[in-house]
Amino acid sequence: MAVSLVNRDRLRILGLLSPAYIWLTVAIFLPLSAMLYFSFLSDVPFGDTEWAYTAENYAAFFQTSTYATLLWKSIRLGFTVTAIAMLVGFPCAYVLAKVIQGRSREAMFLLVILPFWSNSLVRIFSWAIVLRGNGVLDLGLNAILPFDVEVNLMFSTSAIVIGLVHSYVPYVILTSYLALQAIDDNLIDAARSMGATKLTILWRVILPLSLPGLLAGAVLIFVPVVGSFMEPRILGGRVGTYYGTVIEDQFVAVFNWPLGAALSFILLAVVLLILAIASPVLKSAQT
Amino acid sequence: MAEVSVQNITKSFGSLKALNDVTMDFPNGGFFALLGPSGSGKTTLLRAIAGFTFMDSGTIRIGEQSVENIPVEKRDIGMMFQNYALFPNMSVADNIGFGLRVRKVGAAVERRRIGEALELVQLDHHANRKPHQLSGGQRQRVALARAIVTNPRVLLLDEPLSALDKALRVDMQFELKRIQREVGITTIFVTHDQEEALTLSDKIGILRDGRMVQAGSPREVYNNPADLFAAEFLGEANILTGISGDGAEIKTPPTTSMTGLLAVRPENITISRDEPKEGAISKCQAVLEGRVFAGAMATCFLQTNGKTLKVISRDQDIPQNITEGDVLWLSWPVEKTLLVPE
Amino acid sequence: MSGTSLARLGKLWLACILFFLYAPIVVMAFMSFNESQFYQLPFEFSLKWYEKLAGNAEIIDAATLSIGIALVTTVIATILGTAASIALFRFEFRGKRFLQVMLFPPIAIPWLITGTAMLIFFFGVGLGRGTPSVVIGHVALALPYVIVVVSARLATFDATLEEAARSMGADGWTITRCVTLPWIAPGIIAGALFAFAVSFDQFVVSYFLSEPGDSTLPVLIYTSIRKGFTPEINAISTIIIIISMAVMLCAARFSNFGGDR
Repeated sequence: MAVSLVNRDRLRILGLLSPAYIWLTVAIFLPLSAMLYFSFLSDVPFGDTEWAYTAENYAAFFQTSTYATLLWKSIRLGFTVTAIAMLVGFPCAYVLAKVIQGRSREAMFLLVILPFWSNSLVRIFSWAIVLRGNGVLDLGLNAILPFDVEVNLMFSTSAIVIGLVHSYVPYVILTSYLALQAIDDNLIDAARSMGATKLTILWRVILPLSLPGLLAGAVLIFVPVVGSFMEPRILGGRVGTYYGTVIEDQFVAVFNWPLGAALSFILLAVVLLILAIASPVLKSAQT
Repeated sequence: MAEVSVQNITKSFGSLKALNDVTMDFPNGGFFALLGPSGSGKTTLLRAIAGFTFMDSGTIRIGEQSVENIPVEKRDIGMMFQNYALFPNMSVADNIGFGLRVRKVGAAVERRRIGEALELVQLDHHANRKPHQLSGGQRQRVALARAIVTNPRVLLLDEPLSALDKALRVDMQFELKRIQREVGITTIFVTHDQEEALTLSDKIGILRDGRMVQAGSPREVYNNPADLFAAEFLGEANILTGISGDGAEIKTPPTTSMTGLLAVRPENITISRDEPKEGAISKCQAVLEGRVFAGAMATCFLQTNGKTLKVISRDQDIPQNITEGDVLWLSWPVEKTLLVPE
Repeated sequence: MSGTSLARLGKLWLACILFFLYAPIVVMAFMSFNESQFYQLPFEFSLKWYEKLAGNAEIIDAATLSIGIALVTTVIATILGTAASIALFRFEFRGKRFLQVMLFPPIAIPWLITGTAMLIFFFGVGLGRGTPSVVIGHVALALPYVIVVVSARLATFDATLEEAARSMGADGWTITRCVTLPWIAPGIIAGALFAFAVSFDQFVVSYFLSEPGDSTLPVLIYTSIRKGFTPEINAISTIIIIISMAVMLCAARFSNFGGDR
């Protein structure tokens, strides 16, 4: 009897879980494995093409400095965007979690998070409209300032950074907000009752306790920024060549899929490395 | 160490008067309880003394200093919070040393004072633990050590024992009192547990709806409640209005000239089969409705004139072989009759 | 008081951030109502670009396709995700922790990598580019969100209710139908809306998986942008952003994500 009960449970678990996880396996995990396999081929194994196993695609990464330089450029972009987003987002999360009270807090929070869930492509496009020469920013500044300025941020690294910060700053606000909200207000009261100033409280109580959330947000920003290609393309123009755009080219323009796969896989390795380094922090942020 | 004095303070949150013209003195070195149901304003009063809430009007003095415009961090107080509010990211020693470090007393002094405080609360061996590694009672001790390590002028406790289970709570009450005596610090604590207030404090302030109903020594407020609310909040009281009938005699205590309701506490009533003959007693007859046995003590419910009276006494003091429906005599000494102003 | 002035400064900062987040979107929407083809000011109100949109078969086809894909994705991801959440909530078994961790790669790995990997794999198995591939990809990306949202709702479910139902003789399916599902319904609705948003807004994966003549709305916009901006793009972008924000507002009503309680 006991055995059959256990078996029935097992069947149920299998029935409920397998559809979702088989789907994830087919759509995510098998493709990632396939990409690894592909990255060791000389050409696409479809149709009549000749192909062989080779490590040349990886060798290409190391032989010329082009790819490594671009990867480094993308990583630097990741650091810049992440740092700015943290500096901008954390105070904002603090105000939301600890200064604003009651109903308006929920409304404000929703307002901050809402753009994040709207179409990222459209939001990048909206920056293109704002930043282009003779655009709204240009006209607006000239209307306010007494002298003539010509602002043309479009097709520059600044434009890319602004667009990416705009896209991802809600992440760091979200995670920091959740961490800050979990801090018991009594802790702040306790610190005050012991004579601590606002700065001491921020430095010794609030920051240490919200650090996991802040860092989780940082990782969640850094990873996609390193792999971004649409944002540099639209906002960067000629200066918008990054590691991500090179991968995109391999698949949609040059059609060198094996090289693209190898480059993708190197990016994945970098991403996994970052996630592995950050995983203790991310784990403590979860609880 | 200093005395604390609160004069005519009022605080409103919107249309709600959380404190309404409250006055109470807390002499130096005493142990004081603020007692009241939730929403009575007791916590608001404590937080006003601490400085977390600023008053609409009235004065608060700590020692010789008027503190109405001084923020918490400058008031030199020690406070213990209901859930202890220990910093989860710091060790026990760092938690205790926080206030010392803020005051920049120097590393050597800091270490010595942390050591002394740990010794006082008997946690010498737990200095390097994190709060989550401690039991509830241990956390409570750390919170206490942290609140007194800076030698504050006054110690404020916000329901300090409510998170502990009953057995531990009694131990900690004793411990708290011991440490308070040893340090000699003026201590004000908030509680909704009347028993705790009666056992621990030198003086009790009873609050209701933002008003101070009565302030006085435990004996005083228990025996001479200022009103019905105080009488019923501090213990149970049988209201004697309307009791009459065969042989009933309800006497008013002769010492007072006030008028009001007469009441008697359940533990002061004696049950007997036959009519008691002593002189200075009140008595009446009542029908036994039910009897609840609880170890050493027993509670009886009896009915007379359409109202139920409650009697608490030692089980062995109740006449043997009584059953529900029996008509019994209740009696109590005249001096145990409460006269409650209406 | 210094406290309140600091608080005021903080609120000002928040206001600046909100301005930063919304201003470009507002400007873009504004420009979709401007007469000039070259975004020239002064502003002259016109619905011309929306009218042009209504006559643009390519965009209407893409929009229909996008909505269709999003609806199919929503149905599949919600059913599979809810089933998996219930199993993860109700049963204790070996490897459960591993299954929960497996939900993170689809969220955490950049879509560029997932998208290109899917492209390679679907070509490898002979499926190639096209709408079925896009749907498979979207469901996979939406599944973790549905499971996370529904699980969060389940976590607030009192498991003793299931035990109580069982003690009264209800079997597993009855319990699920009469006790569990009604309680987590708001979570399921929120999860479904999330799934819709993930699919409807998804660009990267669709970009690699959709066939050139048969692309979703974001992909079509991307290729148009690269040819040059027209206010027509502003018009369709404005419509998209209104739809996705509306969907998310509904989702926020049904899940208390970020809420206090």
